[in-house]
Amino acid sequence: MPDFECRLKKYRQLKDLTQEQLAIQVGVRRETIMRLEKAQYNPSLKLAIDISRAVDTPIEELFIFDHTGSP
Amino acid sequence: MKRNNKKLPIFLGAACAVLVAAASWYTVTFHDSRLLAPMNMSEYTFQVKDLPMLVSGTCLVLYLLYLFILLLRAILANQRREGKSQITRTLNPKLGLLGFVGLAGFLGFWTYSVDKTIFPFVFFIFFGFFGFFYEGKMSATFMDERFQENRMKASAAANRIAITVIFAAILILGQGRLMGNLEYTLIALIIVVALSIALQIFLSEYLLYRYDHQDAFEESEE
Repeated sequence: MPDFECRLKKYRQLKDLTQEQLAIQVGVRRETIMRLEKAQYNPSLKLAIDISRAVDTPIEELFIFDHTGSP
Repeated sequence: MKRNNKKLPIFLGAACAVLVAAASWYTVTFHDSRLLAPMNMSEYTFQVKDLPMLVSGTCLVLYLLYLFILLLRAILANQRREGKSQITRTLNPKLGLLGFVGLAGFLGFWTYSVDKTIFPFVFFIFFGFFGFFYEGKMSATFMDERFQENRMKASAAANRIAITVIFAAILILGQGRLMGNLEYTLIALIIVVALSIALQIFLSEYLLYRYDHQDAFEESEE
């Protein structure tokens, strides 16, 4: 499972978007957005950029990776 | 296919059937069933009365070729359409019942005992059609990047399992000492390979369904 924190749900709700609406906007299924919000899916760079544009939030705000253990 | 295009193969098929029936009637009535009854073709010499059978036979072969080309074109057109489409093909999950055709593989035990024919063992491959059940359940699903990723993951896992089974079978059966009989060894190998391919076909669909519905499984397990 991907090791990151996803704040998509918060920013999506701020933009008043449903999972379905966001999914249509970025061209994926609602289940993909659902799994992304649970941080159970590691999106491609393209999808991450599309989502960050859709919710008007920088990628680094949406997906927080924990780098403490890395060399 | 346009309406006229659909009618053409039917019309040609009917024409061929009439031609073959007429030529057969002619050769049975006026030509001692030549070219219809079994004969030694190496001693064949042309006779004018053979013409109806030769013409109808040629027409039949040309018609079958035409049907084959139509089939090929339809398959290629479907592949092109599927390649462009972002949606999985629509299938009825009940098609999974076709997997029971795999039971035809057991015919091999009977044919082997009758005339040593081992070909029917290959029919075990049809057990793979059980995968249509899961493919049908995922009919008309939008193929986004997570779906594509899951499909590759499922396919890789299924391939790995099938290859491992085949590899193990070759290692064991390759010694050729199954019950001290080389024929039995070959039969066992055919069965294992056919079942492994069936397993690969089934597993790639089952695992894709499983990965795609993991949330639902996890929630139901809680």
